Parts: sequence; C-alpha cells; structure tokens
Amino acid sequence: MSFLRLKKEIYPLVAIAAGLFILLFGLIMAKTVESSFFLLAVFVWFWIFGWKRACLHILPVFFVVGTVFFLIFYFATGKALSALYIVNRLAAILLGIVPGMGTRPVRMTRNLSQLRVPRSITLGMLIAMSFPPLLAGEIRRVQEAMKTRGAGSFLSPQIFYRAFLIPFVTRLVAISDTLALSVETRGFSLSKTPYTVYEKESIALIDIIFLFGLMAGAILMVVL
Amino acid sequence: MKAVELKAVSFSYDENIEVFDNADFYAEFGEVTLVAGQSGEGKSTLLSIISGIIPNVTEGKLQGQVLIDGASIRGMRLGDICRRVGVVLQNADEQIVHKLVGDEIAFGCENLAFPPEKIKRQIDIVCRLLKLDPIWKTRTLSGGQKQRLITASTLAMGQRVIILDEPLANLDSEGAAELMNTLRTLAYSGYAVIVVEHRLDVVLPYMDRVWHIGEKKISLVQDKYLYLQQQSTVINDFCPPFSGDETLLDLDGVGFKIKDTEILKDVSCKILKGARTVLIGENGGGKTTLLRLIARLNKPTSGNITQYIDSRFKKNYKGNKAWYNKVGVVYQNPDYQLFMQTVKDEIAFGAESPEYAKRIIELFGLTAIAERHPHSLSQGQKRRVSIAAVAACKPELLLLDEPTVGQDYEGLCELVHILNALHKESGNTMITITHDMRAAEALADKAILLKDGTIKAEGGKALVRRYFSLRPILKGRRRCANRRMQHRKSYINSARMAKGYKAKRKIIKYKISK
Repeated sequence: MSFLRLKKEIYPLVAIAAGLFILLFGLIMAKTVESSFFLLAVFVWFWIFGWKRACLHILPVFFVVGTVFFLIFYFATGKALSALYIVNRLAAILLGIVPGMGTRPVRMTRNLSQLRVPRSITLGMLIAMSFPPLLAGEIRRVQEAMKTRGAGSFLSPQIFYRAFLIPFVTRLVAISDTLALSVETRGFSLSKTPYTVYEKESIALIDIIFLFGLMAGAILMVVL
Repeated sequence: MKAVELKAVSFSYDENIEVFDNADFYAEFGEVTLVAGQSGEGKSTLLSIISGIIPNVTEGKLQGQVLIDGASIRGMRLGDICRRVGVVLQNADEQIVHKLVGDEIAFGCENLAFPPEKIKRQIDIVCRLLKLDPIWKTRTLSGGQKQRLITASTLAMGQRVIILDEPLANLDSEGAAELMNTLRTLAYSGYAVIVVEHRLDVVLPYMDRVWHIGEKKISLVQDKYLYLQQQSTVINDFCPPFSGDETLLDLDGVGFKIKDTEILKDVSCKILKGARTVLIGENGGGKTTLLRLIARLNKPTSGNITQYIDSRFKKNYKGNKAWYNKVGVVYQNPDYQLFMQTVKDEIAFGAESPEYAKRIIELFGLTAIAERHPHSLSQGQKRRVSIAAVAACKPELLLLDEPTVGQDYEGLCELVHILNALHKESGNTMITITHDMRAAEALADKAILLKDGTIKAEGGKALVRRYFSLRPILKGRRRCANRRMQHRKSYINSARMAKGYKAKRKIIKYKISK
C-alpha cells in the first residue's frame, strides 16, 4: 500500500537523477525556443511535486541574473533569441539544483546508507551540507570580534589577515575536533560495524509519475 | 557491582605532564556523582579515560585498571566502549549534524543498530524527558535546548552509565535545575550519572557522591556541604560604594526585533558613569542583545541609545575603530579575539601606550606567560588575556559577556579581583553579564534584571542577592529534597510490606544512612 500513497516526498535518488537530467538536457537543448516552454513546465512540475520552497528560492536569482544576462547578450549580439538561449541555460542550471535543495540532507544520506554506500561518504555529505550555516555564523562572529579589537581595517592587511584567519582557523579546528569526538562517542564508526536506518526510503508510484512526467515532457519537446 | 571503577590509575600525556598518579575512583548505579576540582587538574582527562577517548583518540601513557560495569575496558575500541558509556561533551552547538531534533536523536541509535521501532520509542521517551519536540529545527534552538538535545541524543542510546562534561555551561538557573532534576530521575531509575561541573552551588544539592581532583589524586569528599562552602562562598567586593550620578548611556524605549521575534521591548534605563552594572536574568531574557546594542554591534529597531562618552560618536551610529577604543567588548569565547603571536604583542596591540600595556600585563598576572602564543594557553588563561587585551586600550566603557564561565573557584576569585582592581585604578564604567551568583555581587554597584526582553527590576547589590536567592535552582533543591523524601517513604512502605526481620533491618539501616 505504501507504494500507492501519493503524499510523499520524492525518493532522494530519483530527485538527484531528475536534477542531473534537467541540467544536462536543458543545457543541450538550450538553443531552442521550445526549451523555454519545457523549462517553464519543469518549474511547474517541481512546484506540484513539493519543491515549492526551493522553486521560490531560485526565482529572485533567476530574475536578477537572467535580466542582466539577457540585456548584455541582447546589446552585444543585437538578437533577442541569442539572449533567450542564455537565459535558458541559466534556467536549466537553477532548475537542476532545485531537487537537491528540496531534499533534506538526512533523507539523502539515509537513502545512500540503505544502498550500503560507505558511511564515511554519507556522514561527510551530511556534515558538509550542515556546515555552511555554521561557517557563515563563524565568519560573522570573527568579523565582529575584529572590529571590536580595532583590527578590521583593510589598510593594514597583515593585521587584517591575522585577525581574521587565526581566530577563524582556530574555531574551525575546535569545531571539527568536537564534532569528530561527538560522532565517535555516539557510536559512529568507519569500520564494518552494523548500523540501521531509522526512516527507510522507498520508491513509490508518485516517483514513477514524477519521472514519467519529466521524460514525457522531454520527448514531446524533441518530437515537436 | 560498581558502574565505573578506576583502580590505581596513572596517566600522563607525555613524560613530563603527569595527570594522575595511582588514583582510585568509583561511581555506583542509582547515584549522581560529581567530579569537581580546579581547571587543569584532570577532570576532563578522567572523563576521557572512562569514556575510552583515552587512549583510543588522545594518546598518553595509561596504567592501572578501568572497569565499566565490572569489566575491564583495556584494549576495547571506542565504538564498543560507547555502547556501555554515554558521553555528553561540552559545546553542544558544535555537535549537531542534523536539521531536525528527531533525526539528531536517532543518529546514535542508528549507529548502535537499533531497529527503527526501538529508535522511535527512544526518541519519544527522551523527548518527553528533556522537553523536546522531534520536529523542532535544530538551528533555531536556544543554547539550553541544544544542550538538552545533545544530552537526549546520548540518553537515547540507552547506556546505563552517563557522563556529562560541564552540562550547565550555557544554561540559566531554570534550565540547570530542569537538567539536574532529569539526571536525578535517571539515577532513581538505576542509571549511573557522572557530572563534571564547576558550578557547585547549582549541582551539589543533587549529588549523592562528590569527588575532588587535585594533586594527581581523586579523593572522595566526606562533607559535601562543607566542600560547597569552601568552593562557592560569595566573593567579597573591595571597591568603595559607588556615589556618582553622571549619565554615560541613556536608553530610551529601546527595542530589537529579528523578523517577527521581539527580543527587547521598550527598555529604558540609565547607565551611570563610573558604575559597575551587572545584567542578570534567565537565558533568552535579552541580556546579550542589550550588550550588543550598547556596543553598536547591532542597531536598535526602535528607541534610542544616547551616549555621553564622546560627542563625535553622536552623528554616526556605526561602531568604528575610535568607538571601540572607548568601548571595550569582551566576548564570552576568547578564541575570537586573540590573534597575535605572543601574549605581550596581543596586549600591546591597540594599547594606549607600551607602559600601560606593561602595567596591564602585571595587573592581570600574565608576566610569566607573556612570551607564549595566546592559543597555546588554557581556556581560563585565554579569557584573562582577552580581557587584558581589551583593557589595555583603556576603554571608558568595558562590556563583559559572561567573563566567568568555566572558571574554577580560585580562577574566578582572581578574575573578579582583577576586574575590580582595574575598575578602581581606571575608574571605567563596567557592564557585566553573569549567571554566577558567586561573582555577581562583587561586580555590581547597580543591577538590571531582564526578563522576556524587558527590565523587570533595577537596583543594587540587594537586587542581585534577592534574584539569586529566589532562583528556581533553590526551588529545585527543595524539589529534590521532596523527591528524596518521597523516594524514602515509598522505600519504607515497600519494605514494610515485606515480612520478617530482614525488612525491618533494612528500614532501620535506610533511616540511619539518610
């Protein structure tokens, strides 16, 4: 019965495959007007299948960068179509990353763990994906601390570099040490010890419908 | 059988630094055991030995016997030891890898190959116990909630021996009382709980057994309340009573919002020139935000902060180099503010003059380590260096965010005396955030109590005294005593139900022991 349920997030590997497909297919077919319609349809398709938030995230980037590219190429070549093809490429790249953005990292790692991908890779992926916000916070704090010590001026680059890099690297080392120790003391091991997956991922009918829709769109575009 | 037992254990990181020499230690199931002592005496080393981090991760020369639940752990891998001993490390924020609370808790259980149904059960149990929700996002949790989450993710793994390294470091008194009550409940359920902690005044009422580490030995404390008295007496203030009335900062209806969350609401008060003000209150009350607004690291979203430090700072709100020469900000974590090659250079950087830098080195007692790299120092020493480096700029206003965290009693007394000596000498205005009842009074001429982003009360030392005497931790102590009483009653009742002489003897024995 779980195969037939419709309210389910897309199977992580299917999501990644879809992202790669859109990226490659979109780039290859970018030099056609039809690909604009195809990419628009993909956007709607992704929206319907639960990646609404990720779709909204790429919209501002698409509009700002897309407009800039469009204008540059329009004025450089004098052809609106050439400018459109560039915008198509940008759209393909952005749509290619939507499935990755819309899939929770833990679902991806659990999916890979289920398929017996080495745990060093899955945990590495998980940490790498959860690191950027932590890193951004650390950079902000170090910059503030530099300011409070009067070392935030570009006019003395040596002090600037010291006041930024030394605390930043020290913090990164401290964080990675603590993190490594924490995962080890919570039973994580790189050796072949048994482990389980809390929430297993399984392919459902909805994944097939999702993939089928994408393929059908691509075939229609090529045929028409 | 003892939960943890160390027999004649000697340990040294290298040939020169011997931490333990023939030390003995034990912890029992059904008890909460405290390990206390000064910084650098080996509390964390003991924790590492019991949890197998030494010698599996950190190398060193380890001799003697380490027994967990009666079995020696010599030669065992960390992965096997962690199935018997759960470890809750410091800095919870740095240990979270998942986006949801439930996933984070499940992580340890997955590693121990628990079946999914059991993992779900464990998540439910520990979430209920530690007041967490599995669907909460980990990045939006407060410091206290993160600490509870890391504790929960260890508890879920189901080991019967739990070690916690300074679990109260980021918790206010209410959070601390809650966590300590939880640990007591675990002990009643048969767990062996070992806590390494500096805040003796908070933890001691919950402890069954107290060990002191010092001079390479681990000794059992016989009278824990005498020990508490020795370690947590309120520090004396030797500064003369404050008598000024000149305003340095005038806060008028100050508010601060992040998106829709109001962190500060309509805060109005005056900071007097030359006064030492302490900001007290529970976590999330807005203390750090207020300090950041005063330091011009953030701008108020409503209201005004008028400063009378220097007229040239009136036009531009942004903090610049000249501003931070007048306003010194000391971070809770010194790692952010230390970047020079030696302690001497660190303090000389930005110092008013080389002579003043030298004076500050002497005042802070840093002469012996003046040539060392700041990042090679202990955490307590680093903190002192970071305060000294900021103080060397001779700021008119010194802002200190939790300067006493992680200090042992001796270090704490020394730090408070140094700060007061500096204040006496320079006549600076000091604003300090602290949760430490031992230090708060000694650092206060004025006190501001913040709760839910507003000022609840203003006053002097009496307010500090009143606040700390009414804290939930004291209620926690009473609650703890009540629970012990209930526990005793139920024990006696069950014993009464049992027939015969043995039961009566048990009752008498139990009464005597309590």
